[in-house]
Amino acid sequence: MMKITSLLAALILTTGFVSCTKKNKDTGKTINIAVSAQIKGLDPIYANDRYSSNEVGRVYEGLLEYHYLKRPYTLVPNLAESMPVVSEDGLTYTFKIKQGVMFHHDAAFPDGKGRELVAEDFVYSIKRLADPKLQGLGWWLLDGKIKGLNEWRTKYADLPSVDYTEVVEGLKALDKYTLEFKLTKPFPQFLYSLAMPFTFAVAKEVVAKYGEEFLNHPVGTGPFILPQFTQTKKITYTKNPNFRKKLYPSEASEEFKAAGFLADAGKELPLADKVVVNVIIESQPRWLNFLKGKVDYIAIPKDNFDSAVTPDRNLSDDYKNKGIELLINPSLDVTYTAFNHDLKLFKNTDLRRAISIAYDVVKSNELFYNNTALPAQSVVPPGIAGNIKGYVSPYRGPNIEEAKKLLAKAGYPEGKGLPEITYDCPSNTVSRQIGEYFKKQMAQIGVNIKVVTNPWPELQKKITKRQVMLYGIAWGADYPDAENFLQLLYGPNKAPGANGSGYDNPEFNKLYKTASIMQDSPERTALYEKMNRIAAEESPWIYGVHRQNFTLRHSYLKNYMSTDFETGQEQYLNVDVAAKAKALEKL
Amino acid sequence: MNLWQYILRRLFYIIPTILGVAFIIFVIFNLVAPDPALIMLGKHASVQQIQELREELGLNKPMWAQYLDIVKSAFTFDFGRSWTTKQEIISMIKQGAIPSMTLSVPAFVLSTIISISISLVVSFYRGKWIDKSVVFGCVLLMSVTSLAYILFGQWLFAYKLGWFEISGYESGFPDFLPYIVLPVIIWIILSIGPDVRFYRTVMLDEIYQDYVRTAKAKGLSERVVLFKHVLKNAMIPIITFVVIQIPFLILGALLLESFFSIPGLGGITLNGVYNSDFPVIKAMTILTAMAYIIFSVITDVLYTLVDPRVRLK
Repeated sequence: MMKITSLLAALILTTGFVSCTKKNKDTGKTINIAVSAQIKGLDPIYANDRYSSNEVGRVYEGLLEYHYLKRPYTLVPNLAESMPVVSEDGLTYTFKIKQGVMFHHDAAFPDGKGRELVAEDFVYSIKRLADPKLQGLGWWLLDGKIKGLNEWRTKYADLPSVDYTEVVEGLKALDKYTLEFKLTKPFPQFLYSLAMPFTFAVAKEVVAKYGEEFLNHPVGTGPFILPQFTQTKKITYTKNPNFRKKLYPSEASEEFKAAGFLADAGKELPLADKVVVNVIIESQPRWLNFLKGKVDYIAIPKDNFDSAVTPDRNLSDDYKNKGIELLINPSLDVTYTAFNHDLKLFKNTDLRRAISIAYDVVKSNELFYNNTALPAQSVVPPGIAGNIKGYVSPYRGPNIEEAKKLLAKAGYPEGKGLPEITYDCPSNTVSRQIGEYFKKQMAQIGVNIKVVTNPWPELQKKITKRQVMLYGIAWGADYPDAENFLQLLYGPNKAPGANGSGYDNPEFNKLYKTASIMQDSPERTALYEKMNRIAAEESPWIYGVHRQNFTLRHSYLKNYMSTDFETGQEQYLNVDVAAKAKALEKL
Repeated sequence: MNLWQYILRRLFYIIPTILGVAFIIFVIFNLVAPDPALIMLGKHASVQQIQELREELGLNKPMWAQYLDIVKSAFTFDFGRSWTTKQEIISMIKQGAIPSMTLSVPAFVLSTIISISISLVVSFYRGKWIDKSVVFGCVLLMSVTSLAYILFGQWLFAYKLGWFEISGYESGFPDFLPYIVLPVIIWIILSIGPDVRFYRTVMLDEIYQDYVRTAKAKGLSERVVLFKHVLKNAMIPIITFVVIQIPFLILGALLLESFFSIPGLGGITLNGVYNSDFPVIKAMTILTAMAYIIFSVITDVLYTLVDPRVRLK
């Protein structure tokens, strides 16, 4: 017994020393990131979740990107030489791409030296996204938008192989550095597609060499290199020594200027030597690693929120003393409970309004979001054009008396005559709790709710097949344009399209049809705002909240901000090595 | 029947077992599990895309053809590629096996040795305060949820005291030690309660047998009786208990791998389940079933070595 105890003690001490010696090794400019989900791989066409798309964005690049230091989010050229020339009818986009941009060195190229990126690479990469054999997960972005691309896709769906050399009318390389897109109809949001990882440039030699293993051999033009990806819990990227001359921006929105984000203006990117991504699925080890300085920034886990943030939304002194900073920024999303508008019951506007106004979003915010979210007044979140600053919906509660009056007006005084209404939600704990809370609230006005929990795909299936009455869900922006939210209520988008509730209002539809093809302008914003008001007053959904990101970062990590579109962000991040060494002593 | 004939005959049982396992996972996957096409396509899925992807994944094939695919892959070990990661499943398993074994093998061996040793000691002192204290301690250890040990262990030994890494993994000795020791210790703590209780019961069952009384009557010391006779005769239930657990070590410990970010097979399996990644679930289920049969045969063979009265038929 004694021997075993001594053995264990010796083992603990030995490993303790091993771990102590390891601690002092990392002194360079390394960005340490923790992510909470497995990375599927690094093929741009499959990057449909934020984790995979962020990994893709470290290695690959697109024609456009979001300006790092400007808000509202603004598209700027990345691999494109400049913003495209758009024809008067809004149908033809012509890009000049940057010359001298090189792919990473890889065995797929002659002599293993990366070759220059050309316009044809984008033609190839976008055809890959449309390839029916590959089932790229971002096809929805381009579906029906580029002339001839759908026909090309359909033609090869039933043929044994796909011919990438066949010319598609709307997708051409006019010369080595000129790329032309022809759209089927005006669609100003098209440019956002070109800043999303789905359309990032890959080289066909690399795809040909690695075949189905291509996703494990990322070779792009980006700031960091990862010669081989394996399904592990730690991914280490190194700085691309041949990265083109790309500089840290010298312009910024006032908020970033004031916060000192221009200190690195004009420096060559990337600023860090390495990026280490740790896959830490559980929140406690993620949190402890952050507190130990082994992770540079973290979204505060729910269970640690109260220890880190004071009731007045400040960082607690304990953390401040450790050189930790709190960042708060609204997330471009909306949570909601949708009515199934196929049901006759919910064509009754007063009933929808009664249920909506009975819902206590303030209490719900307290219970489920630590009071950090913003109660939603309608569908478009703050931060993008179309959201009406200061607008308060007339049908947001809680106002039980008004709800009862509306319920009686709807023909169901005190809920009499109403059938039991099912509320479907995902099966995770918080969604179920939100469902139970909703049930309790509705009981106050006599509306009888039954909560039904579903695995996520099952819920999607039920929504698609119209087998729900009410369902609780959320939507996060694909790109910073109100169109991405308003499309959720556009009649012709009914399920299986994005409009899961099946709301169909001719006036709303007409406005959407007009606005969705307009370039960004005050006129378009006015139409968006009008739609947003209709969406508030007609109560097609019971609006929940717009969530906010509460993030902590160590102050030695420079230039980090919390953003909704973080793909490619780490090239701008810097580490104050001396400050880090001092900070680690305190942690 | 000689030993090799027996082993061969038992290994033939793999065929009907695999057919049965293949049938069960086929039924569960087709009738209960959610549609993988919906999971993979996400929020923008259209009916046409779902149909196309189902076609691509082979989900529109006739039922019998899908069943035959499973059976074929079980016997050829060609499990294809993961639907989620698109990697070859065999290479995923190879990658995950070493970290899993690095955790589970030392943890299992140590916990078995420690538990058997403690059991022998308490059997020696049966009824005395030391026996009662150990039994009480075991009940106490078992009463606390495994999550509590993990959370507390990680917080105290890794974060506060800094003796180990909080999470992560490095391959190769001794680089993996700072990452592995804490989960191994927690595994041992989690196993000791139930294991000691089981082994103690087995040994006490033996202690009250006639042959023990005879041995004592012959004047053999308590120690000789315990180690020479009791332990040897208790080996059959001990071997059964130990060997049958081995196939499940392949999967590692799901919770420990998850909390300590060890890139083992547990995580691969868990992700397979979350993503309805049927080829991964299929491969892991079939491999576990095969391992179970193989280790059952090993158990039977070991019986003959520890107890000459056992005959293989």
